[in-house]
Amino acid sequence: MNWIFGWFKQTLRHGRGPSKQVPFATLFGLFQTILALNNQILDLIAGMGTKLGGNYVFDRQYIRSTCEQLADLVYKLIYNLNAMAPGKYPALYDAFRTIHQEIQEELAGRLVIPQTDYTMPYHLISRDFGDVVGSKNANLAEVKNLLGLPTPEGFAITTRAFQSFLKHNELQEKIQGIATSWENEEITTEAAEAEIKALIMSGTVHPGLQKAIRKALDDLCLRAGDKDVHLALRSSAKGEDTEMSFAGQYLSVLNETPGKVLDSYKEVLASTYPRSAMEYRRQKGFAEGEVAMAVGCQLMIDTKVSGVLYTLDPRSPEREVMLLTANWGLGAPLVAGEVSADEYAVARKSPHSVTAINIVRKETALFPKQGGGTEFRLLDEALQTRSALTDDLINSIVEEGLIIERHFKKPQDIEWAFDQSDRLFILQTRPLRIKAQSGHMACDISSALKKYPIIFENKGVVAQEGIGAGKAFLIKTDDDLVAFPEGAVLVSRYTSPRLAKAIRKASAVITDVGSPTGHMATIAREFQVPTIVNTAVATELLRSGQEITVDARQNVVYEGTVTELCYYEFADEAFEETYEYRLLRRVLKRIAPLNLLDPSDKDFVPEACKTFHDITRFTHEKAAQQLIHLEYANVAGSQTAGRKLDFDIPLALVLIDIGGGLVVSANARSVQPKDVLSLPMRAFLEGLIVPGAWNTDPVSLDFGGFMSSLTRTFSLKMATPRYVGQNLAVISKEYANLSLRLGYHFNMIDAYISKNANDNYVYFRFLGGVTDVTRRSRRVRLLGDILAKNDFRTDVQGDLVVARIKKLDIDGMQRKMRLLGLLVAYTRQLDIRMVSEGEMTRSLEDFEALKNAHGGSTTF
Amino acid sequence: MVAANKTSILVLDDETIVLKRLRPALEKAGYEVEVFSRSSEASERITQKDFEIVITDLKMPGLDGMQFLTMVKERSPTTEVIVITGFATMETAKESFQKGAFDFLAKPFKLGEIQEIVKKAEAKVLKNRMQ
Repeated sequence: MNWIFGWFKQTLRHGRGPSKQVPFATLFGLFQTILALNNQILDLIAGMGTKLGGNYVFDRQYIRSTCEQLADLVYKLIYNLNAMAPGKYPALYDAFRTIHQEIQEELAGRLVIPQTDYTMPYHLISRDFGDVVGSKNANLAEVKNLLGLPTPEGFAITTRAFQSFLKHNELQEKIQGIATSWENEEITTEAAEAEIKALIMSGTVHPGLQKAIRKALDDLCLRAGDKDVHLALRSSAKGEDTEMSFAGQYLSVLNETPGKVLDSYKEVLASTYPRSAMEYRRQKGFAEGEVAMAVGCQLMIDTKVSGVLYTLDPRSPEREVMLLTANWGLGAPLVAGEVSADEYAVARKSPHSVTAINIVRKETALFPKQGGGTEFRLLDEALQTRSALTDDLINSIVEEGLIIERHFKKPQDIEWAFDQSDRLFILQTRPLRIKAQSGHMACDISSALKKYPIIFENKGVVAQEGIGAGKAFLIKTDDDLVAFPEGAVLVSRYTSPRLAKAIRKASAVITDVGSPTGHMATIAREFQVPTIVNTAVATELLRSGQEITVDARQNVVYEGTVTELCYYEFADEAFEETYEYRLLRRVLKRIAPLNLLDPSDKDFVPEACKTFHDITRFTHEKAAQQLIHLEYANVAGSQTAGRKLDFDIPLALVLIDIGGGLVVSANARSVQPKDVLSLPMRAFLEGLIVPGAWNTDPVSLDFGGFMSSLTRTFSLKMATPRYVGQNLAVISKEYANLSLRLGYHFNMIDAYISKNANDNYVYFRFLGGVTDVTRRSRRVRLLGDILAKNDFRTDVQGDLVVARIKKLDIDGMQRKMRLLGLLVAYTRQLDIRMVSEGEMTRSLEDFEALKNAHGGSTTF
Repeated sequence: MVAANKTSILVLDDETIVLKRLRPALEKAGYEVEVFSRSSEASERITQKDFEIVITDLKMPGLDGMQFLTMVKERSPTTEVIVITGFATMETAKESFQKGAFDFLAKPFKLGEIQEIVKKAEAKVLKNRMQ
């Protein structure tokens, strides 16, 4: 595009008087640069997003260099906007610095916990907060928030709180001193532990932290609807490694009253931190950062019976059983091995029959004490010899256990409890380490796989990696979705958003059609369900009830349950657990989300930019506005004045002619479509105003979750410019650049059409705005389908469609511009109409019909 | 457990994530795989065993990928070497091919892409052996 810019400069310089403002040619050149940067940035962001899907092998170097590249481009973007509007947006630099700084810290792997409070309620925690709340808290919150299983209400006291505790009491150096003596073998492990413990117990919880914990407790009481709560405090360290090595060392303080929570907090830290800190040093060496402790603070469950479930017996995984232990009352003594417990071996396969049972005499059990604390009580004779669990209770634990295992992709070690009304609560879950070397798993995986018939392979595309096994379940109607059994493999012709409710129950998903960047991929990724889409053959080759194993890594579907493959996966580190995956996900949080949505909103300001995407969006909008709103009439002469296009469709379009794009006699303020001489623009308008393209009938407009849940009727005639947006076209005889804001979507078209076919091109770019992810990706897919069908080279990534076509003659290029005009008019209404998948198919046919209907008068 | 007639692959990359991802993918596809994150250990290993295929990164501390490639080809000319790198330029690609690399792949890549290339390399190895 640079040559165009050069040409503008030359053309426009002639006959212009001196001016204080940025000359138009310069301004437009900057605008062009901003568009080009904008495109590069969005491409990079979309590319980073697809790396999370699991098809790619990427390393730290990729994450680092892409972040650098992005930061460089975003900085240039800001620079160019400030050149267009001198001194107008200096705050963008501040926003940039903040975001850039955070990304740098993440890349450096520093233990920085920005923007987190000292406490965090469970309902706001996701797996991305592992560093802040510790892995145990993060896992439990995921069980609660994503899987929807009952867990105790509560909050985490974050690692940042712990850091501030150490800092306030100046403990860091003292502890390091002790650890160094221990490393030099000057003192014993026991002595070092005791000294660090004493240091922590002598520390005080500073007022800021006290206040935060009290506030969290008040909020918790409010949520519980009870002022007189009792609490359990459990340690939760950052990093799985340390936690797994020290499973037994972690202390819980049970049935504490709110008044004693501060003391208990210290007690949990003192009992768990010293050992894990030392072990961490032993394993990782001096250079590594320190362990950070978080603590979970949960409402006590009025426990009747509790225990531990291993979803796979680690001693002999090949037996395919789960191990369950249970005792009356609270589970702490059972976990610590202080009391004997009933033991059950339960088949992993449904219907989960109990294959072995060992009921022991349970003389005492731990119970909450009135007024706080716990006590051992002698049990009634009848309870002592009775099985602590009934078959029904066993069944409900193991079913939930397998749901959790499926989600975390590894066998789990789960602490659970039933309350007095037999309601099940998950108290804690963490991966159970299965040794890769144990006989069964050391098997030669590739020859083991040869035993299983392959139903199909390399059909379709992997949308989410992983292994899933279960009975196939074909979805044909909505009723099938309701009946979808836990753990089955979901097989469907389409990737409909309706499937979302069954996905979380599925062990894998296979569809005949669909795109790896579509809605299904997003959902599958969120729930981490192995998914293969677009196989074309799944519903034909698979039948309901058939046992199958889906290898959504190698893209193979096997007949039967390939246990070797499942165990191979168990021993393997999941992609989602690798450092690089988590790092990419974390940096993307500062890059990809779009928070700045509505340009008319008062929060559409540089200060509100939280991500690189926000800055990019803001800059693009303001750059276009800069061209629209400046009074060119006074600056660059009437030729380049911005003029409103006067036509009968609800699209506010401002035209800026930079040479030969309009009839010379065109009046100063507005122009008619017939006055447009620009070859690409004229063709675009012809398509845009095709009769029938703008459906002005009132349509039912469902703002779905975006504005309100109300369904209103809405006529497009009523659409205000606020919704329709301010749109800009910069044109010349042979060139057109359109920046269109359609509702909340951003559309850019750049075209050059001349006699020289080799120079001709049309570039189309569409970025969806908000609205729910389902409709968004459907729209993007529809656009992609239409463009591809009409010979554009089309690339769809997430929410972004890029389409190009080049080197056609004038007539051919104009047809394409007409088509884009029609497409813009048509898709303007898609949000409103694309409510279901069927609607989308219809839309595609609709569009083609509309196109063909006008084959006589307007050619596409 | 008949490892004898499997095609052997050595993978060298200083970023362990690459090893973690490639090893299971290649093992499941039926190859015998050894992975190394240090070039010193990998070059030690190739003095003990001739691998049929070597996959190596370029930029590494110590002995770099280009030197390793040269070493592998000197010791065992029939070994096919696939170069993977995050710093892909025309020059490095050219140099790799001059030094006898079988193929050159820029990181990040798709698992499917490397599996394709490995398959082709394996076919070449087998063909050469038949002759």
